[in-house]
Amino acid sequence: MRIKLVAHTPDLEAMVAVSMLTTTSGAQPSTLHERLLANPERIREVVSRLEVQHGNVLEHNRLVWLVEATGDEVLDVMLGTRVLLFTRLEGGRWLMSGNLRALADYAKQKDTEFASRLVDSVKDAAPTIHASFRRRTG
Amino acid sequence: MKAKLLSYTSLAPLKEATGVLDARSLLPHLGYTFAVERISRACSHQLVRHRVASFSQQSQRYIVMKRLNERVVTPPSVEKAGGDEFKELVKEAGEAYQRLVDRGVPKEDARFVLPNAAETSLLMTMDGRSLLHFFGLRLCNRAQWEIRALADEMLGEARKAEPELFNAAGPYCYQLGHCPEGRFTCGRMQEAVDRYKA
Repeated sequence: MRIKLVAHTPDLEAMVAVSMLTTTSGAQPSTLHERLLANPERIREVVSRLEVQHGNVLEHNRLVWLVEATGDEVLDVMLGTRVLLFTRLEGGRWLMSGNLRALADYAKQKDTEFASRLVDSVKDAAPTIHASFRRRTG
Repeated sequence: MKAKLLSYTSLAPLKEATGVLDARSLLPHLGYTFAVERISRACSHQLVRHRVASFSQQSQRYIVMKRLNERVVTPPSVEKAGGDEFKELVKEAGEAYQRLVDRGVPKEDARFVLPNAAETSLLMTMDGRSLLHFFGLRLCNRAQWEIRALADEMLGEARKAEPELFNAAGPYCYQLGHCPEGRFTCGRMQEAVDRYKA
């Protein structure tokens, strides 16, 4: 199976940080967003405090991958998670999408090459979260 | 009330990567995150009925409610009726809340006296298909006024960001060309269609 991240929510980690702070801060979410975008260090600081069990803060994003796989391989992934969405394209290609929480849940359950590639596909888009996933999944 | 589209997955790179020409078929793969601010808790209760969305809401367990009388949503019908009783009850609720907090009652318990009118803000994320469904239902003339006003602001934001996808969005009568409300129809479909025509 080959996968490639082809689109994602911009400023992924900023959105995770906004979500984390929204629940406990009296500031408005749009104000938090503006402040955080102007302060990348603060984004890293907030996101590095992330507790994965509070997974809903990982849901305010969308990641879309192009997958080359057989129908059986895709079925295997689909049976392992209900929150990754697939669309069949032509020529053994599939569009797969989900959010960081879906990715985290899948990677926690599955110790496979595909799960590992999935985690690594977000290394550039969400470096702090990627490092955190890697610490947990090895 | 304010709705701002904070972030979304763009259609263009997805079309380019897949070669898919029918943009609407890509809707389930696209995500839209809105900051929804200063709505009532009554409105947020309606929002969370959209189960396929994700929410992060200001927590009354952690955020102290100061000056409740300045942080409530007052329905226009209440304003029209004078609103004195409403204001008095809000004032009393705010004072009772503060007295409980001052006596050491945790915020998570003191909040039980707060009204549905209390303001709240949240992040809401939906995929494109669910967002289209949300607009179909909540822009309908039969929807409750506050969530309809919110949906209206959200539609404006979505149309600015992705006109190719959301110029066709609106109440279901606008999307479908007929009213699906049956005997509950408002009978003002043309008015709605004219309003949302892009």
